Amino acid sequence: MRHPTEGTLRRLLDEPAGVADVDRRHVADCAECLGTLVAVRADAALVETALAPSSQTGIDLGLAWQRMSAATTAPTLQPRLRRTGRARDLLRRPAAAVLAVAMVLGGASTAAANDWLQIFRTESLAAVRFTTADLLALPDLSSYGEIVFTEQADVHEVSDAATAAAESGLDVPIVDDLPRGVVGDPVYQVGRQVTATFTFSTERATQAAAAAGESLPPPPPGLDGSSVRLVAGPGVAQVWSSSSGAPALIVGRAVAPTAFSSGIPFETARDYFLSLPGLPDGVASQLRSFAADGTTLPLPVPVDEVMSRTEMVKGSPATVLETRDRTLAAVVWVDDGVLTFVAGSIDDDEALEVAWELR
Amino acid sequence: MVLHRRAAPPPVSTARGVDAAPEAGPDEGNQGVTRTDRGDVRGDLEAVFRRDYHRVVGVAARVLGSQAEAEDVAQEVFLSFSRSSVPGDEARAWLSVAAAHTALNVIRSGRRRASRETAAAESGVLGDVADAVVTLEERTRVRAALALLPEKQAAALVLRHSGLSYAEVASALDLSPGSVGTTVRRAEQTLRKELTRHASSH
Repeated sequence: MRHPTEGTLRRLLDEPAGVADVDRRHVADCAECLGTLVAVRADAALVETALAPSSQTGIDLGLAWQRMSAATTAPTLQPRLRRTGRARDLLRRPAAAVLAVAMVLGGASTAAANDWLQIFRTESLAAVRFTTADLLALPDLSSYGEIVFTEQADVHEVSDAATAAAESGLDVPIVDDLPRGVVGDPVYQVGRQVTATFTFSTERATQAAAAAGESLPPPPPGLDGSSVRLVAGPGVAQVWSSSSGAPALIVGRAVAPTAFSSGIPFETARDYFLSLPGLPDGVASQLRSFAADGTTLPLPVPVDEVMSRTEMVKGSPATVLETRDRTLAAVVWVDDGVLTFVAGSIDDDEALEVAWELR
Repeated sequence: MVLHRRAAPPPVSTARGVDAAPEAGPDEGNQGVTRTDRGDVRGDLEAVFRRDYHRVVGVAARVLGSQAEAEDVAQEVFLSFSRSSVPGDEARAWLSVAAAHTALNVIRSGRRRASRETAAAESGVLGDVADAVVTLEERTRVRAALALLPEKQAAALVLRHSGLSYAEVASALDLSPGSVGTTVRRAEQTLRKELTRHASSH
């Protein structure tokens, strides 16, 4: 009889029960088929090994669901979130660790070992210009240590401005004149304070560097196991929807991020993080240029998709962002530790107009 | 079961990743799918996500060789799933196929970190057990070869090595069950030739 096909032999390896009895009996008695089976098995084993992922760390299902949940909570923004999907990952990438460390430089040399010492308070913003390629070049933050969210924002809708103010402890910005095309009453949302702690792990960082084919610079003494705790919020947002249901305008306010140290010598940590493989030189130099004052919050801007410039709003320098297709714009500024933003499906001038007129 | 015909088809992969699956009609293939008040996000999303996330990451990781990149792909796939009307009992196969196609598209479109791959390829052998078998250079080679395989061959190979049965692979890719072994075998031969060709040239 004819020999079974190599496809049949391949299935014989995985699912012998799926192969016809007549074929199985033939192979058992056929030296030629048995020889072919050995070759088929060898190829399958080689490919199995070749397809194995290069490094397997534990999957953080909770964190993964947080990302998904955030992306689906505002379904009408999904197309844009997907288009700039890589930007979401910034939060998990070492740039975030670098930013976290870079934020906390001033006065860090006095950090005490056993106390959380505040070493950064947001007083202003500065755009850090990334390209999408930069983002892709950044390894995952979890490669360098562990990030744990100990308090969640739990963003939820409240009935009115007074409730939003009471829950958040913030003055809810008042918009008198809405941009053309934005009508109706806003929905009020409140988010609670968020706390996240990043703990550096030399072991994990070494593994990540090795997996990427690079060697990790020797970490400075004391960095392994040391932590940066970031605290932000609470916050409040007013959302106006367009006739299609898409958010047309969002005006929000939040307590700007603050950072605390568990004892890292931050000048040393900054220099070390900025030297890690994977951080593009241009990004590192931007961070190095303003990171020393302990009051400037880096604002990552993907320059190939977003244009940015600076304008004055209510006496503070504000960052004005607009997507290159001019479909979305935002203005964001910090005053006395409170961050305020205006964003929506409007142009940059309209966003600025709203920002200037806020009460 | 023929996944493509009964449910909304798997997402179409593009240079940007996974696009939304075409919407099923109101009476088509949406049994068991409930909607929440969060726009058009399906109500069973979290349950399916928690059940199948590891599997979807595993499929993508076999294509990409990187868990971090695989998790990025998994997010895209579940985002697309969240807006789809795929019946819940077909979700696992749909997600697996979507993960395979999307990850294959990533390596085809070259949006992954080519320079990093090159650097890694030049670094020699990795440290752990699995990596001792195949060098980084070979990993790069095999993924370059994966990118050149016909779509259906590559997808069948990845899905089979991710643990899908022959029947599941056949159903997911609209192949006849008898042809899955042949498809997988051809893909493995091509990859083996690529690996050994490169090894013999050194």
